Amino acid sequence: MSRKQLDMTLLALAGLISFGLPLLIESPTYLQILILLFFYAYLTTSWNLVGGFAGVLPLGHAVFVGIGAYTSTILALQFNLSPWFGMLVGGMVAALVGVAIGKPTFRMRGAYFALCTIAFSEGVRVMIENIDSLGPIKFNGPRGLLIPLKGESFWNYQFMHKEPYYYIILTMLVLVLALTWFISRSKMGYYLAAGGDEPDAAQALGVDVAKYKLIALGLSSFLTALAGTFYAQLMLYFYPKGILGLDLSFEIAFIALIGGRGMIAGPLIGALVLRPLNEFTRIYLSNQLPGLHLVIFGLILILVMLFQPKGLTLPLTRLYDRLASKITTTGA
Amino acid sequence: MPLLSVENIDVFYGDVQIIHGLSLIVKEGEVVSIVGGNGAGKSTLLRTISGLLQPRSGTIHFKGEAIHKMAPERIVERGIVHVPEGRKLFSLMSVADNLHMGAYTPKAHKLRGESLRKVYDFLPRLSERQKQTAMTLSGGEQQMVAIGRGLMALPVILMLDEPSLGLAPIMAKSIFDLLRRIADTGVTVLLVEQDVGHSLRLSDRAYVLEHGKVALEGKAEELIDNKYIKSAYLGM
Repeated sequence: MSRKQLDMTLLALAGLISFGLPLLIESPTYLQILILLFFYAYLTTSWNLVGGFAGVLPLGHAVFVGIGAYTSTILALQFNLSPWFGMLVGGMVAALVGVAIGKPTFRMRGAYFALCTIAFSEGVRVMIENIDSLGPIKFNGPRGLLIPLKGESFWNYQFMHKEPYYYIILTMLVLVLALTWFISRSKMGYYLAAGGDEPDAAQALGVDVAKYKLIALGLSSFLTALAGTFYAQLMLYFYPKGILGLDLSFEIAFIALIGGRGMIAGPLIGALVLRPLNEFTRIYLSNQLPGLHLVIFGLILILVMLFQPKGLTLPLTRLYDRLASKITTTGA
Repeated sequence: MPLLSVENIDVFYGDVQIIHGLSLIVKEGEVVSIVGGNGAGKSTLLRTISGLLQPRSGTIHFKGEAIHKMAPERIVERGIVHVPEGRKLFSLMSVADNLHMGAYTPKAHKLRGESLRKVYDFLPRLSERQKQTAMTLSGGEQQMVAIGRGLMALPVILMLDEPSLGLAPIMAKSIFDLLRRIADTGVTVLLVEQDVGHSLRLSDRAYVLEHGKVALEGKAEELIDNKYIKSAYLGM
């Protein structure tokens, strides 16, 4: 078996398993954990376009999740439009907002950019929490929005079982992974990487670094907002602190840092490690010691940053390379 | 008409003035050195010419066209290529990818195959290492990649910021030899250096910068014999 065949076989197997899992798992709780795992992997992959490839550290991506959720839900509740349509509108609004905040802030480097993104997303959260309604549009302030149950309907993006949600988010994840793979191998990917790595050198060679960063942020915000709509329809309820808050923004960045920033598999590996940990420590430990799961989270982050500062993807890739070369040589 | 003329520019970082009323010219085909100690404003001058900074007053003309208000990518298109200090390679990309990044402008991109062949002819060592990632190279090899990347952008004038910085003397010498060979192909070279001896021997003319002003200028061979240069920069 050649190396390429092995890669393809494993990839096909992984695909088959992930599409087949709902047939084996009956408990909706476990299915929900998987759905959220994919949801976070999707969010982090979208984040990776800017935070990984472009080498800046945005820490306010929750604002785009929130824009997606609020836009599609308000359009559905108050204007009777399908959330599928609202999802696209939300994506476009998020892309516009992303470009609008990227334009002035990308000139800042390092921590200053990160601080700006935090400030912006927190500003939006506080605003939404204090607005009950704006003209005909109801935000409901800190109470958030509740989507009334209308029964199984594709048009309303509502399903009585978890499986459809599972397949929707899995498809979204596969598509966004394919997109980042494609971008990382395109000219744009190289320009982004060059601008993130050595902005001066890239600029001195004539690369319009700011332009590519803006395109990346626009795309990233668009994709992130799509997940906001998904979350709203999955939970049928959301409130500003949950969907616009820093916890969500930070968790996205954590997953990326632990998995490996700027690597295509990074967000997936990060989510595979952190999400189950998060869920199970919360289920089993939060009664004894509330907040313990956050301590464990922090500890893992410290350990990974100490021993594998580029994330877990790199050592795992090396391990796989070694195993694969063994298999392919003994096989031949 | 000089190829590049800088007239009476003032450059600031925030409120701090780095360059005070500096003027210089570079003629086509020349090798011109800008020498001076740390903090004299040498790098700032190159960054201003390549558009990474803008002068608060004064003008910069290239082939008679004012370029001091242009964005860096417009300036590169005109053939002013800046090889920044400290090499600044894209560390996770291969040597070949780093070189390809140099061919960003549409014109350079079209001719990239030919340029790459020329760079490999010039620097056979890079051809051997084209698949290696940039960060695995030695300092001298990295500097070669940085220069090769600059050549890929099809420079009319190649500006180098301290290419010998941090290199072993023998490696530094081979970098200066390389610059000589580049100049011999007809590329105009503007070189910023702290290694005054080497760079003066390579150059036609030189400017000595101190505190953001031109302290001395003249033919390189005359400056080598200048008493002040000898005591201040050559330690003789």
